[in-house]
Amino acid sequence: MKVYSILILNKAGGLIYQNEISSGLNKLSANDYLVLAGTLHGVHAIGSKLSQSISTTNNLKNTEELNSIQNSNILSFGKALNPNNNKSGLQSIETDFFNLYNFQTVSGLKFIIITSPNDNFENFETSNEIFRKLYILYSDYVMKDPFYSLDMPIKSILFDKNVKELFR
Amino acid sequence: MSKKNTGDDIWKNNVEKIVKLFTLTYGSVVSQLCRDFQNNYYEVNQQLDKMGYNIGLRLIEEFLAKTGIKRCQSFKETADIITKLGFKIFLNIQPTIENWSNDGKSCSLIIPEPNPLTEFVELPITSDSKIGKELWYSQILCGVLRGALQMVQLDCDVNFIKDVLRGDDRTEMRLKLNKILKDEVPAGED
Amino acid sequence: MSNSYYFTIIGTKDNPLYELEFSSFKNIPTTLPSNYIPGKSQFSQSTKELLPFIANSSLDIIEDLQFSTNLLNLGKIDQFYGLNINGYITQGSIKFIICYDSTKDESNSIKQFFQEINELYSKVLLNPFYNVNDAIISPDFDLKVKQLARKYL
Repeated sequence: MKVYSILILNKAGGLIYQNEISSGLNKLSANDYLVLAGTLHGVHAIGSKLSQSISTTNNLKNTEELNSIQNSNILSFGKALNPNNNKSGLQSIETDFFNLYNFQTVSGLKFIIITSPNDNFENFETSNEIFRKLYILYSDYVMKDPFYSLDMPIKSILFDKNVKELFR
Repeated sequence: MSKKNTGDDIWKNNVEKIVKLFTLTYGSVVSQLCRDFQNNYYEVNQQLDKMGYNIGLRLIEEFLAKTGIKRCQSFKETADIITKLGFKIFLNIQPTIENWSNDGKSCSLIIPEPNPLTEFVELPITSDSKIGKELWYSQILCGVLRGALQMVQLDCDVNFIKDVLRGDDRTEMRLKLNKILKDEVPAGED
Repeated sequence: MSNSYYFTIIGTKDNPLYELEFSSFKNIPTTLPSNYIPGKSQFSQSTKELLPFIANSSLDIIEDLQFSTNLLNLGKIDQFYGLNINGYITQGSIKFIICYDSTKDESNSIKQFFQEINELYSKVLLNPFYNVNDAIISPDFDLKVKQLARKYL
């Protein structure tokens, strides 16, 4: 699985980071990326509304219980889990030309990667692992940058460097 | 597998070496604030709280990224995770939870001794008696919790009600949930 | 001889930071005075008044010595009316001085005492509310110095 591009969205759906990891996609204008980010954010939210009416109340309860069980597992076994919290929204878009995966944190941040198409089921796991690493990089190099203000575009060279390193 | 693995491992890899430096740095920050505000300790508390708040807003991401904690079902669960995992990762201590209110919305966190922030600290005694009554030396912790919880859409009040530095029998923090910011909970979680 | 000690810490500007008078817990005199309290110094009133002066007058000697040796413990540096004076200078040029009225040379135990005091003093420095050359008023420090005195002298 080849990762073409990464997008990070703040909790309002604004694009705060975009990076072309490898060539393969056509470049969009800065404005188009913003539109893309906003659209994905919206589709994600609407999608979650759709799925809410599909899933029964019984299912809803299950998510909450599952969360609890997972949390107590983290506490008792001391093993970190994947921080992906995207349960009912847009999770992936798969096309003949590219795949897109969407990851959401408890704080509402979205990480989106666009990869080469692959109908291999393991892709979902791989993408989750990439997201986990990206999120850790974000928490280290963006959140700990004292001059970064929350929800603003990320211009950190250090973060850029480490993201590139991750996909080398 | 040992019980505290996640917390312990993350802690060992990151912070142990610089904990002393951290304690001293925090000490100089507090004493400098006291000087800057001419011993107006209410103001110092507030500044520390603000600093903590800004740290909390950012620190929560690391916490979520490295543990993978999901949204909590109850505030009790939240408090549990804060003490058993949050404090463990960032300060390598594990406060105990006591005194739940009947509605389950507020509780006390007892910071165990030694409190890593106050390892070398003694409040000056004779020069200024106000300090022992007004300054909450570890107030920054309140700010951190408040900031971090706000980022996961929990609006809380956090404050100290006892501090060993002041001569109390223990260091006790009060954590109170005001409301869950439902509007801000990101879509797609349930 | 009553084996009494006068211990003082002098700051970098020759300002006193801390002082303590005590008597030995190990060599208790055979003939006890009527008002004997263990640990209470037995200096005569006139000596008591002189002690700070004696300690301060040895500062010159310490300052001379600090350039001729790289040891922190300066050992016995002076003598005054049957009082022995031992000195110690920390890396931060804080001086520890002990005046004692013993016939024996107790430099060895005093050396250990000084070393531990130095450790204790460096802990005081770590307190964010303490500045160099402030008087040390912490009761905790006082208590620990007394414990050390009891242990070594």
